[in-house]
Amino acid sequence: MGLPRPTDSQEEPTVDQLIDKQKLAAPIKSAVDKFQLLPEFLKVRGLVKQHLDSFNYFVNVGIKKIVAANDRIESAIDPSIYLRFLDVRIGKPSVMVDGVSEELKPHTCRLSDKTYAAPILVDIEYIQDERHGIKRKLTKADVQIGRMPVMLRSRCCVLYGKDEAELAKLGCECPLDPGGYFVVKGTEKVILIQEQLSKNRIILDTDKKGNINASVMSSTEATKSKTVIQMEKEKIYLCLNQFVKKIPIMVVMKAMGMESDQEVVQMVGRNPQYAAFLLPSIEECASQGVFTQQQALDYLETKTKKSTFGSPSEKENRALAILRDIFIANVPVKRNNFRPKCLYVAVMLRRMMEALLNKDAMDDKDYVGNKRLELSGQLISLLFEDLFKTMITDVQKLVDNILDKKRSSRFDFSQHIVRDSITNGLERTLSTGNWDVKRFRMHRKGISQVLARLSFIGSFGHTTRIQPQFEKSRKVSGPRALQPSQWGMLCPCDTPEGEACGLVKNLALMTHVTTDEEESPLITMSYCLGVEDLELLSAEELHTPNSFLVILNGLILGKHRRPQHFADAMRKLRRAGKIGEFVSIFVNEKQSAVYIASDGGRVCRPLVIADKGVSRIKEHHMKELMDGARTFDDFLREGLIEYLDVNEENNALIALYEGEATPETTHIEIEPFTILGVVAGLIPYPHHNQSPRNTYQCAMGKQAMGNIAYNQASSFSSLHLIGSVLLWRMDSLLYLLVYPQRPLLTTRTIELVGYDKLGAGQNATVAVMSYSGYDIEDAIVMNKASLDRGFGRCIVMKKYAAVNQKYENGTEDRILRPQKTEERERVLDDDGLAAPGQIIRNGDVYVNKECPIETRGPLKSAAALADTRYRPTKVTYKYPEGESCVVDRVAIYPDRNNNTCFNFVIRHTRRPEVGDKFSSRHGQKGVCGTIIQQEDFPFSERGICPDLIMNPHGFPSRMTVGKMIELLGGKAGVSCGRFHYGSAFGEPSGHADRVEAISETLVNNGFSYNGKDLIYSGITGSPLQAYIFMGPIYYQKLKHMVLDKMHARGNGPRVLITRQPTEGRAKSGGLRVGEMERDCLIAYGASMLIYERLMLSSDPFVVQVA
Amino acid sequence: MEGVSYQRFPKIKIREVKDECMKFELRNTDASIANALRRVMIAEVPTMAIDLVEIEVNSSVLNDEFIAHRLGLIPLTSERAMSMRFSRDCDACDGDGQCEYCSVEFRLSAKCLGDQTLDVTSKDLYSSDHSVVPVDFPDSTGYDSPEQRGIVIVKLRRGQELRLRAIARKGIGKDHAKWSPAATVTFMYEPEIHINEDMMETLSLEEKQSLVDSSPTKVFDIDPNTQKVVVVDAEAYTYDDEVLKKAEAMGKPGIIDIRAKEDSFIFTVESTGAIKASQLLLNAIDVLKQKLDAVRLSDDTVDADDQFGELGAHMRVG
Repeated sequence: MGLPRPTDSQEEPTVDQLIDKQKLAAPIKSAVDKFQLLPEFLKVRGLVKQHLDSFNYFVNVGIKKIVAANDRIESAIDPSIYLRFLDVRIGKPSVMVDGVSEELKPHTCRLSDKTYAAPILVDIEYIQDERHGIKRKLTKADVQIGRMPVMLRSRCCVLYGKDEAELAKLGCECPLDPGGYFVVKGTEKVILIQEQLSKNRIILDTDKKGNINASVMSSTEATKSKTVIQMEKEKIYLCLNQFVKKIPIMVVMKAMGMESDQEVVQMVGRNPQYAAFLLPSIEECASQGVFTQQQALDYLETKTKKSTFGSPSEKENRALAILRDIFIANVPVKRNNFRPKCLYVAVMLRRMMEALLNKDAMDDKDYVGNKRLELSGQLISLLFEDLFKTMITDVQKLVDNILDKKRSSRFDFSQHIVRDSITNGLERTLSTGNWDVKRFRMHRKGISQVLARLSFIGSFGHTTRIQPQFEKSRKVSGPRALQPSQWGMLCPCDTPEGEACGLVKNLALMTHVTTDEEESPLITMSYCLGVEDLELLSAEELHTPNSFLVILNGLILGKHRRPQHFADAMRKLRRAGKIGEFVSIFVNEKQSAVYIASDGGRVCRPLVIADKGVSRIKEHHMKELMDGARTFDDFLREGLIEYLDVNEENNALIALYEGEATPETTHIEIEPFTILGVVAGLIPYPHHNQSPRNTYQCAMGKQAMGNIAYNQASSFSSLHLIGSVLLWRMDSLLYLLVYPQRPLLTTRTIELVGYDKLGAGQNATVAVMSYSGYDIEDAIVMNKASLDRGFGRCIVMKKYAAVNQKYENGTEDRILRPQKTEERERVLDDDGLAAPGQIIRNGDVYVNKECPIETRGPLKSAAALADTRYRPTKVTYKYPEGESCVVDRVAIYPDRNNNTCFNFVIRHTRRPEVGDKFSSRHGQKGVCGTIIQQEDFPFSERGICPDLIMNPHGFPSRMTVGKMIELLGGKAGVSCGRFHYGSAFGEPSGHADRVEAISETLVNNGFSYNGKDLIYSGITGSPLQAYIFMGPIYYQKLKHMVLDKMHARGNGPRVLITRQPTEGRAKSGGLRVGEMERDCLIAYGASMLIYERLMLSSDPFVVQVA
Repeated sequence: MEGVSYQRFPKIKIREVKDECMKFELRNTDASIANALRRVMIAEVPTMAIDLVEIEVNSSVLNDEFIAHRLGLIPLTSERAMSMRFSRDCDACDGDGQCEYCSVEFRLSAKCLGDQTLDVTSKDLYSSDHSVVPVDFPDSTGYDSPEQRGIVIVKLRRGQELRLRAIARKGIGKDHAKWSPAATVTFMYEPEIHINEDMMETLSLEEKQSLVDSSPTKVFDIDPNTQKVVVVDAEAYTYDDEVLKKAEAMGKPGIIDIRAKEDSFIFTVESTGAIKASQLLLNAIDVLKQKLDAVRLSDDTVDADDQFGELGAHMRVG
């Protein structure tokens, strides 16, 4: 946007001016167009900001905290010999090559199977013990204790803060790639977001028997435990793992020093209703003969689980220790003051009783506010903590061993830091995805996965995926259902079908996941704002009406008499930036409590603040934003926008549009389409579709082929021609479209994500009509001329690897110059490897390798081995007969064992054939049913001939109205030359073109308003009886192609053990006449056929007897 | 009815001829002939197109097949194509596509030496036969600088090189769309519009205007002098029925009557540039004749005459 120009300017109108005119002509939208905030938000935060933030937090804060908490290694033999970690930081990604540190680039790692990692550097202070007991204190800086895999685009990545040109220079990184993943041993690994129940919160629910449970999952740095208070047969018990039996709650209270029953009743509430609920428990306690603290402790002592080891002295006070350290461990006990714990239990009891009286008070486990998302930073931090502690104990053992012996040389502590355990541990865990952290009793599988690189959008979807903690097999519908609290936080469309349906979720476009924030300033702030400390209050006052409990991260701070006032004050402080922007203040009227949360893993999203329904963002703010004088952070800093988490949303009244705001409105949405995620954002007009269709498209968009990244692939020979080393991706399997297009009907999300630059489909002119009968059951009829011209043409690139193995006796494989006598060695170059650019067919040799016959035994010199001691192990290429592929690239590099590796990328260009799968963006998939000559295809009198024909039966039951509007909008776009928009819910805000406007454009360009044309039959030349709905629709080619699937066999291989035919296409197996097929044949009575199939074709075997 | 001939004498009236497009009327015949002409123009008029590519050096960003495909789709001037041989039945060269009767060789050699990206276009293709060259668009109205014209094959950056040999062969659009000389061939029935003047008189000016406006294309107008609804451009009518629907909605069905003339067609032919549009039509008629000759002369036809009876006699006469 430039400065306003004089209208009578004589110069040629620039493109900018034309756009401005269009903008002026556009209908007046909502009072202030806030859309521009969204690109700004994404510019600041990036699309995978949650991963980056989390990892950055770990690097900047988390790792320092862990090291600070375990900063001392002391010798058990001589405690004066110690090593102390002063500071820790993560360096720049680098690798040591021959003792020299060399900078690492992510792409180098991808190509040469390395791990993209940076050294973990510590500053240490340690004691050097000279021989004669003279000890010297020394410090050393930048000691490496291991290597930390680095998340791409995080703060310590070399790509951080680089612009497009710099990225291109930096080892061919795609500027549209969002990062947020690791490169471990050459493969890209994403750590999936893990969803779990919030820690340290009271959660009320019912168990299978219908008993009410109040449970707390405590998690502190020291311990993790689960405390359950259960009501069974009107009596209340405590269930804790450390006790063999359920403990009556009153016993627990007495054991914690709450000997007076009256005080307990007072704490729970003096209302006779509550006292009545407590009565059976009090009676039971009395019947057990427990009246004093000592009696209670003795009672508990008998119920503790007897540990097999541990000294008897420890056993003495086990009950008290359990109550202190494990029972609701998140409530700290200072100087054996159990009062906070008693109060906490009282609050739990009170909540249970409220739940008894009113079922609504029960907590919903599926409520997003009760969930926390665990991100890569937290998971890595857990891992690092474990490995770091292990390393410390290892070092300690090592040092003790050395000190134990009579040593002669001097002892230098710094020499004994173990380096490899952390590096290897991190690398192994990330590459297997199995988080086995015994220290934290954590055994989870599949946390990190290989990043899906099938399509650009698929890898996006992978980084925003949220994995559940529950097992998938449970047949419950509750956790799978769409939760109203997901609004704006989690995408309502993007979830897989089948067993993980509704459990695996995806983040919405604007979602932010918080990281941990310091609690202590919040605590002091709260007390300053008038929170009364519980220590100073009597038991009676805990639940007095008209005063609210103030709870920070599950910890009861105290009471406040004017909760609304308090919350307003806290919010004001937050908007002023005095406390963190992600702190949430939530006034829960039902529970008479104010919840303050500053813990990590909460989902939140930005909203515009409104005062009495009037948006704080005014026109001039947006203008400043467009002019670049203002950033998203400025909006945040000036209190125009704030982040709300799911809980605090309950205190807000959020208007969708500024126009809909009433005086009660507190917030206004930035853009409604941000409730969808990245993958669902590709669908045009999704709000006109039947909901499951959008979900289907979300699954299919990830299988569509197109462009992967700017650095996806290229011609081989540019490598040596251009001075700088250009390296391209070498994925094991890559599907690319020859002529990908950007969709004619776009959405705002498409532009924000960059799908318009890396599209995965083509705009096909579609006629909705019946043709030839080869279009039943969603099959599509394709125009041969369109295919000739490149529609749906794709390149399949597959990587084949071979290793030149070294053996233990010193021999190694060898690659020979081919004799070139055999036809199948045609593609080989003089170096014995297939040459790039050669056409390769089934059965051709691509590595002319020989391997030594003897690989064990006495060491021999490899050079001296005679030719006869080798046997040929030529590697041949297997592919369907008749297809010709081309060797695209050959890469040679040493692997970690210093064996030479060869990677061959073999490319195959395919044109669509009958049976290939296509799909529009509306969950309407179909296979190509037949391919018809252009002259037989119907045509309009303008000469338009469709690229494909789709059967109209696809519409009524699917109800994909969005697809029809896409067709209309695409047709209008083609005829008027402007890309039309179809963002979700975009009509009121002008981000989606209305059908009325589209129809008008169509009429202005001489089409019918309804998108139908008069069509002539290409076969007879006579006009068709009906008008045909025809126009462009964006079609995706899916990765499922007949060529990869077709299979048939006559005689063939058999399994060794059973002598039955093998199974599966890869082993050219037989087609099974299964149980159901057999049943059919029986029912039909084809007994001889069954006999033949089951016996003759499968099992007969002739064998010589004796 | 023996011997009665249904022979008709179709007439062509040419309205407009340019090199790359033409419009003509075809009268006194039926849809089968019109459609046959259209189909032949699309699929059976032979042209030249690159069919075999031998790549010597390719260090561009596009792979070999990609470039070969793009080369194939470049239209080549093929005035000579009708007289050339298909390489499959070429006597001179056993169909290996090396002789002057059936093939034309092209060479392309481009290397980018400067810092600016080099567009390799169809102009860089050097033909061994001056009559078969990539199509040139001389009158593309000043869109680009003159040397930039031509069809872009690939763009090269510094140091990249493309060197290849390509052989163009004769072929027809049925085999591959690259041999199709027609970009667009379409026809429409000529509409016949009758306005019921008496009924039209009963309409007010506004009603007339709304009737005129109801057509998405400009078919009708109101004469400013007589204030009568007149047909300005009957052929602009797209058989969309909008006017008829409007008339019905106004309660005046039959005020306008539109029929398609069953025996007269308006053709629009756009050529890819391989052959001139007019030549395309002539070639198509030739091909059509040859096809009919093939039917008429073959022994099978004579044998089948009895079965076809009347039709056979008809064809022998015509």
